[in-house]
Amino acid sequence: MKTAPPLSPTADSQGRILARGLTRRFGAKQALAGVDLDLGPGGVIGLLGPNGSGKSTLLRILTGLTQADAGEVWIDGVRLEADGLAVRQRCSYAPGEIALYGELSGARMLEFLLRGREPAAQARGIELCRRLELPLERRVRGWSHGMKRQLLFAAAMAPGVHVRILDEPTEGLDPKKRGEVLAILNEDAQSGTTILLSSHHLGETERVCERILFLHQGRKISDETRASVLERARRVLRVAFASPPGSAELAALDGVLRARVDGLQASIEMESADPRRTLAALSSAGGLPAPIAIEHGSLSLTDLFREFYGVEAC
Amino acid sequence: MGGELRSRWWLGLAYFVTLEVLLIGALAYWPQFSENLDKLRSLVPLPVLQEMADEIEASGFPAYLAAQHFFKGAHSIGGLAAVLFAMFAVALEVQRGTLEIWLARPVSRRRLFWERWVAGAFWLTVPVIASTLTVPLIGSFIEERVALWPLVLCAGYQSLFLLSIYAPTFLLSCWWANPLGIGFTMLLVALFQMSLYLIERVTHYSYFRLADVRVMVEIYDTETLPAGFSAVLLAIVALTTGLAWARFRRMSP
Repeated sequence: MKTAPPLSPTADSQGRILARGLTRRFGAKQALAGVDLDLGPGGVIGLLGPNGSGKSTLLRILTGLTQADAGEVWIDGVRLEADGLAVRQRCSYAPGEIALYGELSGARMLEFLLRGREPAAQARGIELCRRLELPLERRVRGWSHGMKRQLLFAAAMAPGVHVRILDEPTEGLDPKKRGEVLAILNEDAQSGTTILLSSHHLGETERVCERILFLHQGRKISDETRASVLERARRVLRVAFASPPGSAELAALDGVLRARVDGLQASIEMESADPRRTLAALSSAGGLPAPIAIEHGSLSLTDLFREFYGVEAC
Repeated sequence: MGGELRSRWWLGLAYFVTLEVLLIGALAYWPQFSENLDKLRSLVPLPVLQEMADEIEASGFPAYLAAQHFFKGAHSIGGLAAVLFAMFAVALEVQRGTLEIWLARPVSRRRLFWERWVAGAFWLTVPVIASTLTVPLIGSFIEERVALWPLVLCAGYQSLFLLSIYAPTFLLSCWWANPLGIGFTMLLVALFQMSLYLIERVTHYSYFRLADVRVMVEIYDTETLPAGFSAVLLAIVALTTGLAWARFRRMSP
């Protein structure tokens, strides 16, 4: 079996997230099965996938919180070794699970989260918390889920690092706060930071992420730019038939790359975004039932992953 | 380290105050106790406890001090403190889901582990030593003179004994995300060991034999630590701490 050569980051590794062959098993469950990454420098990268697809495990492995069974990681030019301290010094991380020390005030909690960071991080953290209108003087016990989420976000955005890894930073936030968080993310990304974020909000992923990774059953099944994903979305035709069509007949139509049939519904991936050639072929095809509804160019990211991979994005 | 120490100072203080109150009460009772030792001895129900009374009769105040301060006070309150300080150390972080934020900061796991281990060990042992250091002063009020160095050795050995309860509890805390379960388990083990101690035929199998009145009086008299027992206690502390670290360094949120 041919094995991949080891990663050898060069001088341009600053701000990059590199991984090769990341594997992790929890008992009988294969959480990650050979994930490779080459992300950054700079930009917001979205990590999508259904529950249990391995997103959080991947993010924890990248920060050294969970050890991979196999594979290697380089973050910002530093190799992940031992307990991952060197990597955690080069990146910040916001966990997906919200559990804070309720007895501490917001300010003390922020101080706890920023232990080990440069002194200026504390001031930046307080500034971000003020922007997010968090009551730092109050005990965290009385805070809402969304406020706690924002505190974790602020603590991850405060350190002066080139890489940030955020596990569902907008989960549980109202639309206004979500907008504020995304604005902070955008500002940070414009300064050249690489941000890898997992999210269940596909709309916001479409809005802020320049690149989208899709994880399913521990495998990376898609890694595309937003432009490419949207271009693919425009090449999908959804057709409803009066009776179930044959997928082989659909796939054989002129201008069709592949077709997926689910009952009376069919998703057809075309060679180009212009549907006319395929529509003409569809109308003249002899062995297919008559189409009763045709949809084109209106696929959301959720629909897209369902159509392409047959899995729910979240 | 400072934060970990500060977070437990009030527990350490409460523990010290409790030991000190028990000590003052016990030493204040010594003059009456020594006068009535014969009568009291006849009331002692178990042979093992009669052995203790014999030891007090033979050695006097140091044996009484060992029975009251070390065997009664430090074993019970100290044992409780050992379990209390260690059972929450890691298990509580897992139970309330804060393990991830604790570990996710750019601080090495080795440092996090040792900060917590040492802070607990500090507050477990310092009150025992500190309260023991007050014995000469309290003794002067009841006209009993005791040498300081042998007392320090006794307190040091007692601390080692408590650490041999603390370290296995810390190990359990790294394995089992149920602090109360750990506490009850250790309590049951302690009760079982004390039961063994009180039964004449099996008393020698009890863990408490490693630090009973006889051992403490020997340390006081000879001014040396019992090498074999000390080695056993040190080995237990080292082994369980090593296993706890091995577990902690691979823990995943």
